[in-house]
Amino acid sequence: MELHLTVNGDPHTLDASPAETLLGVLRDRLGLTGTKEGCSEGECGACTVLVDGAAVDSCLLLAHAVNGAEIVTVEGLRDGDGALSSLQSAFVKAGGVQCGFCTPGFLMTLTAFLEENPAPSEDEIRTAIAGNICRCTGYSQIVESVQFVIGGTK
Amino acid sequence: MSAVVGEPAERTDGIAKVTGEAIYGVDYGETGMLHARLVRSPVASGTLREIDASDAEQIPGVRRVLTAADAPTDRAGWVLREQLLFAADRVRYEGEPVALVVADTVEAAQAAARAIQLKIEPAPVVGDIEAALADDAPLIHPDWQSYEPVSGADHPRYGNVAAEVVADTDPEGFERAFAQAAKIVEDEFSAPRQYQAYLEPKSAVARFEGGKYTVHTAHQYPFNVRDRIAQYLGVRPSAVRVVGHHIGGGFGAKLDAALEPYAAFAAEKLRRLVKIVNDRTEDMLTCPCRENAIVRLRTALSADGDILARELVCLMDNGAYSGEMPWLAGLPVHVLGQVYRTGVPRVVGKLVYTNTAPTGAFRGVGGTYLYFAVERHMDNCARRLGIDRRAFRLRNLIRSGDAVVNGQVLEDADILAEAFDRIEEIAPWGERPTSSSNGKLRGAGVAAVTWMTNPGAGSVVLKLNEDGTTGVVTAGTENGSGAIAMGVTQIVAEAMGVRSEDVVVLMPDTDAAGYDGGSQGSRTTHVVGRAALIAAEELTQKIFDVAADLLESSPSDLELRDGEVAVKGVRQSGIPLATVGATATFTVGPLTGTGSYATPAPAFNPGCATGLLFPVFPTPSYHVHYAEVEVDPDTGQVDVVRYVVAQEVGKAINPAGVRGQIQGGVTQGLGYALYENVQIVDGRYQERRLETYRLPLAPDIPDVEIILLEHPEAAGPYGARGVAEPPVLPVAAAVGNAIADAIGAPITRIPFTPADVLTALHDAREGSVAAAQP
Repeated sequence: MELHLTVNGDPHTLDASPAETLLGVLRDRLGLTGTKEGCSEGECGACTVLVDGAAVDSCLLLAHAVNGAEIVTVEGLRDGDGALSSLQSAFVKAGGVQCGFCTPGFLMTLTAFLEENPAPSEDEIRTAIAGNICRCTGYSQIVESVQFVIGGTK
Repeated sequence: MSAVVGEPAERTDGIAKVTGEAIYGVDYGETGMLHARLVRSPVASGTLREIDASDAEQIPGVRRVLTAADAPTDRAGWVLREQLLFAADRVRYEGEPVALVVADTVEAAQAAARAIQLKIEPAPVVGDIEAALADDAPLIHPDWQSYEPVSGADHPRYGNVAAEVVADTDPEGFERAFAQAAKIVEDEFSAPRQYQAYLEPKSAVARFEGGKYTVHTAHQYPFNVRDRIAQYLGVRPSAVRVVGHHIGGGFGAKLDAALEPYAAFAAEKLRRLVKIVNDRTEDMLTCPCRENAIVRLRTALSADGDILARELVCLMDNGAYSGEMPWLAGLPVHVLGQVYRTGVPRVVGKLVYTNTAPTGAFRGVGGTYLYFAVERHMDNCARRLGIDRRAFRLRNLIRSGDAVVNGQVLEDADILAEAFDRIEEIAPWGERPTSSSNGKLRGAGVAAVTWMTNPGAGSVVLKLNEDGTTGVVTAGTENGSGAIAMGVTQIVAEAMGVRSEDVVVLMPDTDAAGYDGGSQGSRTTHVVGRAALIAAEELTQKIFDVAADLLESSPSDLELRDGEVAVKGVRQSGIPLATVGATATFTVGPLTGTGSYATPAPAFNPGCATGLLFPVFPTPSYHVHYAEVEVDPDTGQVDVVRYVVAQEVGKAINPAGVRGQIQGGVTQGLGYALYENVQIVDGRYQERRLETYRLPLAPDIPDVEIILLEHPEAAGPYGARGVAEPPVLPVAAAVGNAIADAIGAPITRIPFTPADVLTALHDAREGSVAAAQP
């Protein structure tokens, strides 16, 4: 079946079976391995991408269900000049990254969240990332990465 | 330039990780590779009668089905050579590999694995420690005597006991102390398995070429993978090359080979590149979880609060095969006397085979539940004596110069008292929450830990690149902790007078780098960092020799600073390292320096115990944790409202990185204390997906207050001791003590679930009602 997706601004047309997940298409067909597969059941959040601006678990989503959608993955977060987004930059500066396997999912969840709520409280940040598991950091430095961004510095 | 060591420098792999460019083990692949999937035993115990692959082989795209009939008969193992590549006649745990399907696609491999018919005649399941130790228990390994120890020297083991450690050097004194004691306190504690739950499932990609296996994997200990593959396949270790990739978390679970031997074997059989990835359920079912255990403690006390004698009996679940566990069976000997003087000690550790998945290392290993048991027991001793819990601890605290149970002298143990003092400054014990408020029961707990830095060997080759950067060749692994991306990188940068971004570290490669003991026991920054300094000294000397000619100076008058070689005490700039590197290429040849290091074993008493495979605790660090909790008496819900850590680190090479290790380690400890629990029924794991295995999430976890103590350790690079492992260790102890304090009832079993807390509260109230009645 023909599948049309715009991924990080690039249009793609593929022949995809009805059973293929969005995650499978991104990783195995388009070679965008930045989006991670942690659990395949929507628990860990490592596969989070933006579908028409909303953060979703791409492992649970059949690709054909989002036919025609605009997808943004972690590879699409840099700006047009290749500079890191303020959130990406903050994760590096504030220690939000350890092993980094959960990082793309956190970045996508938080990118969508900050669009909706540009000045969240700490509690709001913690609630926003309650669907993303990080086994390394204990979350404090991830929360501070967000606070670093909303504090206006990059 | 400003110093690099001690600065919160950005980790050098940070940009690759936030952009999605970092290639992890599961991301690695090459065109034309085949995909493999293991067929695993669905039962915990049985006799394998038949593997019928006829349906599976008809599935389009299936290339081969491999079983024990195809495999070498060599047994492999870290300590004991127990395990075959595939179960041959008997299956001993749910998840044990029985066959391997190799196919063109992942989907074909999955379909074929499902289509394979196994005929397994069920056998009785020896599902837990007590069943395995029963007199009439079936033997998990009827041939246990034939298994060869890898080191050549065997250790005490028998029947279903895979290792036994006993420290009992003064039995008469021990009995006398108990006979004379004013009070005797006895307790029993238990802990479940804990799943490491790293986010990257295990994987491997292998190629076979000209008699050589090349295996790509994201692994904490590439040389261990090399050795295990060599054992299974009956080849010499240098016939195997292991290449590392970014690791999506390991926490000890990626220290032994898992899928790598299967990928290597299939690559040889099919002469094709083969990739294999675990799904989350098989990862959980076969991951070497932290072992479940039972700990019994008995202490003889004087009336005024001295510990006259103490006994610790620890029963550990080995699972069906041993991995590194026989090494860890001696841990109770170390834990018993490392924080508190124990009078006459007696320790028995038993590692017991069961029909369950093999257990193994998880950050802090058995120390988590051993310290939980010791510290809960300390609270109980103080309560029985009518002495304040903190005062009782300080009274019995070990001091600098004390010899512990293994005879090792802890030269700097006074740091423990200092850590108690530093906690007191910000969380005074006299002001701890004692009363209920807002309908919640409040309590506080304290726990102390002495821990080691793993001494395993490591090496570094440094090379001056022609652009002036410093290349680092090491098999030390970056498991996410920052030990390479911050620690070793900053140590090299400091020594070479360059910036972190001018240090270029090779991914681990067992053919390129010298042996490395893996990222375990906080050893990488300490051991590999020290090796890097030794290498830097040699490289620096060679740089000075070349630069001396260019600067018309003596090598002994030169120094490295700001990416240049300059004359000491002279302000004007020197010559760039790039010039020295380029010059050397055309004169003396490229400049390199080599360094190797393994922590020398401290003196100990070899007669302190039998069966102690890991007799010393080198490069100790000291820790005191303090927790405050609120317990909802209606729901049993526990909130950890304040958490304070005082930790001796020697020297924080990167304070932000050290903080990340402490916050992250405490979080894993809180998960262990409050939620995480692999429950086993008849050898079968009940938690089989992340959906049912509750992990700590952002709203659950307080921001940890951290006090760093920095007493430089003479052998450490810039004084650094191991940092990353210990923060997980005291957490269940401190939180357990705080909950017991809050509810006024004993807490004996990890995790402290709401149901357990409510039951303890209920029992305590019934008990006090009963006690009040005549």
